[in-house]
Amino acid sequence: MKTFQNLLMLLALSLVLGLIAYFPGKKMARIHVNDKTAVEDHPLSCISCHYYSQTSGVISKLINVDYLSPFNLALSNDGNRLYVIAQDANALLVVDTKSNKVLNKISVGMHPHSVILNAKGTLAYVSNEWSDKVSVIDLQASKVIDSLNTGNGPAGLSLSADGQFLFVVNAFSSNLSIINLNSKEELKRLNTGNNPTGTVLSPNGKSLYVTSRRANAAPYGETLISDLTVIDTKSQSVQKRIGMESAYIMENVAFTPSGDLAITTLIRPKNNIPSVQVEHGWMMNHGIGLVEQKENGRVIQLLLDEPNTFYPDPFDIVITPDGKKAFVSSSGVNVISVIAIDSIRNLLANASPKMLKMYSNNLGMSSRFVIKRLTTGANPKGLALSPDGKRLYVAEQLEDKIAVINTETLETVNSIDLGGPKRITVARQGRRLFNNASHTFQNQYACYTCHPDTHEDGLTYNFAAVGRNLANVISLREIAGTAPFKWNGTNQSIYKQDGMRFSRFLTRTETFNYDDLDALVAYVKTGIKYPPNLMYHPNAELTASQLRGKEFFERSVDNEGKLIPKNNRCITCHSGPRYTNLKMADVGTLASTDDPTLFDTPHLNDIYSAAPYLHDGRAKTLEEIWTVYSTKDEHGRVNDLSKIQLNELIDYLKSLRGPRYNKADSNSLFFKSKNEKDYENSIKKTY
Amino acid sequence: MKKIMKTALRKPIKSTLLIIAVLGLGSMGFILTDKNPAHPNAQLTANGSAMDKSVLVSKNDFDNASSKTETKAMPIYGHWRTFTEKDGLPANKAYSIRIDGNRVLVGTHEGLAVYEQGKWRTYTTKDGLAHNGILSIDVSQLTGDVWLGTMGGLTRWSAGKFEKFTQFNSGLPNDIVYGVLCDGKDVWVATAGGAGHFDTFTKSWEIFTEKNAPMHEPWTYGVSTGEGKIFIAAWGGGVIEYTKKTKKFRDYTDPDGKMEIDLLPDDGVVHNVTTGTSWANGYLWVSTYFGLSRYDGVHWKGYFDHDSGLTSNFINFIRAVGPIAYVCTDKGLSTTDGQNWVTYAKNENDYNGKVTITKGNKKTSTASTPSISNNFVLSVDVKDGIIWIATSKGISRGELLK
Repeated sequence: MKTFQNLLMLLALSLVLGLIAYFPGKKMARIHVNDKTAVEDHPLSCISCHYYSQTSGVISKLINVDYLSPFNLALSNDGNRLYVIAQDANALLVVDTKSNKVLNKISVGMHPHSVILNAKGTLAYVSNEWSDKVSVIDLQASKVIDSLNTGNGPAGLSLSADGQFLFVVNAFSSNLSIINLNSKEELKRLNTGNNPTGTVLSPNGKSLYVTSRRANAAPYGETLISDLTVIDTKSQSVQKRIGMESAYIMENVAFTPSGDLAITTLIRPKNNIPSVQVEHGWMMNHGIGLVEQKENGRVIQLLLDEPNTFYPDPFDIVITPDGKKAFVSSSGVNVISVIAIDSIRNLLANASPKMLKMYSNNLGMSSRFVIKRLTTGANPKGLALSPDGKRLYVAEQLEDKIAVINTETLETVNSIDLGGPKRITVARQGRRLFNNASHTFQNQYACYTCHPDTHEDGLTYNFAAVGRNLANVISLREIAGTAPFKWNGTNQSIYKQDGMRFSRFLTRTETFNYDDLDALVAYVKTGIKYPPNLMYHPNAELTASQLRGKEFFERSVDNEGKLIPKNNRCITCHSGPRYTNLKMADVGTLASTDDPTLFDTPHLNDIYSAAPYLHDGRAKTLEEIWTVYSTKDEHGRVNDLSKIQLNELIDYLKSLRGPRYNKADSNSLFFKSKNEKDYENSIKKTY
Repeated sequence: MKKIMKTALRKPIKSTLLIIAVLGLGSMGFILTDKNPAHPNAQLTANGSAMDKSVLVSKNDFDNASSKTETKAMPIYGHWRTFTEKDGLPANKAYSIRIDGNRVLVGTHEGLAVYEQGKWRTYTTKDGLAHNGILSIDVSQLTGDVWLGTMGGLTRWSAGKFEKFTQFNSGLPNDIVYGVLCDGKDVWVATAGGAGHFDTFTKSWEIFTEKNAPMHEPWTYGVSTGEGKIFIAAWGGGVIEYTKKTKKFRDYTDPDGKMEIDLLPDDGVVHNVTTGTSWANGYLWVSTYFGLSRYDGVHWKGYFDHDSGLTSNFINFIRAVGPIAYVCTDKGLSTTDGQNWVTYAKNENDYNGKVTITKGNKKTSTASTPSISNNFVLSVDVKDGIIWIATSKGISRGELLK
């Protein structure tokens, strides 16, 4: 009886204590959640942030699975074998197109991008974007038999007409490697446009076209120009550079079989006008660029969009052997746009230059040549046609499936399950949302559009009134620990950035529902990785020049022997594994058109790939940050450095890479510096 | 400027050299501004590509002259044709010249002039050049890209696209680029603020000044390559040799130090104020404002106007092609194989000139009509029997006679 009374007392006490704790606890939790989400009605769910966003440990392993993520494709000459790049699995899948079964999974390098076969169909070449190598695969033996060195970030591939040379597009170093397949040696690298990925050989084998995704460096307000680089395959030199005006993100390019047209996918951004323009249906347009292959051939752009429905992020393009139809994967809306090429020829036949200029912005033109829109699974990327042109294979990247389309009836006839996990994780759902434009007014763009490869598009946008608060797009790679966000630090969390703010300034639609927002944030915080910095920091050691640069980065005394004030040392603001102290600072680059504010200190990992620089992208190179925009040491004490020393400092900055690549490096700055503790403390404070 | 004045006061000998150099550079075009009236024999024909019809110095003349002097190994050029502003050049002041396949690239004070299929086309800063004053030109054999050293930075010209590299937007040591050299994937520059190279693969710079190389000061004039080495003509520092494999430097300086005469013959580079280097056929040729040097890897040999066929000790530029060195001086163009000499010089008051052939102590001169456009020769290039020279008053094209 006494025991029962004691239990009753204990229960009552617990209840009282619970009630005492509940209300203030709930209030505190509410304050915390409101602060992080910038809204007042987000459910009080701890798992939103503290479960789905785990990047390591048991929970992370429990909630996440490894997907395949098919990216690009190639078909055997007889059409019986489909070779699929499984980007997230670092593998090439061999698929039997009759049984629709995966026959083999061949491990290749990191983050494979493209696959092509030799003329006999005996060898496959796979570009490994994060390994700087091309894997050579014996298809009979289903194994990698060789590895060819390339430039930085090998992506698109092509073979010379005689099969003697392999052309490799280097996406990160913006050049083209030409490899002699007999000697296995890289003969030369030709300078291409900015961030190229796609390439195609002309039907006569004389010209090789290489796309570019980023526009050439230019001051804000000037017309964007992105290069299509044309290589003369005989002399193996650049024949010409075709400037595609007001366009960028040319992912891939194809030739008509007759060779009269080269057609590339592209996006036409309107970054020079305020982003509120999205309400008028004119912020981002998506289409194709055509280059006539004749003397004085014209360069034409046509939109795939329609007046009230956009078809964002065109990725791949293939053309049927009869030259009648082209298929474009519109990745941002899960659609394949089918184009009647003769209709385009008719359209262009009598068009004046003035009319062509009008066409490039006319949302109504697509009705003249797009004959059907085919729905696919999530995020269609690479396309491949069967040799007879009757079947189209579509890599559904975020579905782990291959769609099979009958190109005559224009119906989806099959779906090949590649055997990826059936469960869709929260982060995977977030990735689908990231790549899908359905949350933007009229489907104009997805997160991916301005953050291709979850990085950045290199453009400066006008998010406020005309000409005010210009902002350079920043990378999303591993930003979880870098709050606050936005150049002026107004967003304390990714929740706010991707939720309320996103809809107010960018999508102009309703905000994500909270489940979707949880998913998107989970993906951004856990699913976006830094590629290795193989160009400037390929192994544990820094070069002698980088080591000297590191000393300047960490110094407290200048060349004149004077103590540098703490707030004017590089290492003070750019500390920790991500090289940011997460605080605001004045670096003297506030423009008269900016609202008065301090600047959020940006992270510096992979800074080499993040041009242009400064909050509004005014510095085209790292050098210009100091030589042009900090002549009075407003952005750190640097003006005492000689040119050699400044070059060394920049050498060091270019070596900075994702923190995980440094973990194996016991000599790393990060794990020795006291800044690491400062960084951890600041993280604790922030979260 | 203050620094220069201080230096001038402290170091009189060095300052003398500096003044000479500045005057020399000025003469490249800043001072000599007289217009060159079109020569009646140098008019373009309708298609703009015809040669002069009247050439007084014929091949036979040279055959006769050469047979007398036994200079069979030496190439002799004639049928000179001059190009000036009237023919389409943007300026008469031409600093640099390079033959690139079927076209000729000329760096003038007012932009890049390209001669192709008998027509001139000019490119300027409006087209994307870093500066209109183009001091040096080289063409990458690997990629076909043209690299232009200008008075305002380095420019890459690739398939119609110009790209600027300056000391502000890149690791370029200095914007005054006197020399440029394409060496495989590397592009070397000699600038007023040091030498260096740009790795076109990694897009990284490595630069050298007196701080990290055995230079007297960072001012460098020329750069060339041969036998796995880079040879930098460094102002006041002689020749700086950089071995690519070991990344080590060594320097070659004048054993006579700051003496403006060569006390002991053939004891080393003739002077520390070097203006250019060129390597060919196992020889390193070094031009200075005080004579010419040749180095075979063991021995140095000096050449002066008083003891050889060299027309002047004041040498602006040198280019060695095969066994022949083409020496650009303030008094005409001299060519040599190390023993025999042929010099081309223009008369002061007309369009004619003379060709002087020297073998040992024997000198034979023959009239040349027309002659080269001007005696202040700043650059030269030779290919397939055609020679092009850049001078402070127009450029000239000559044909191999023998």
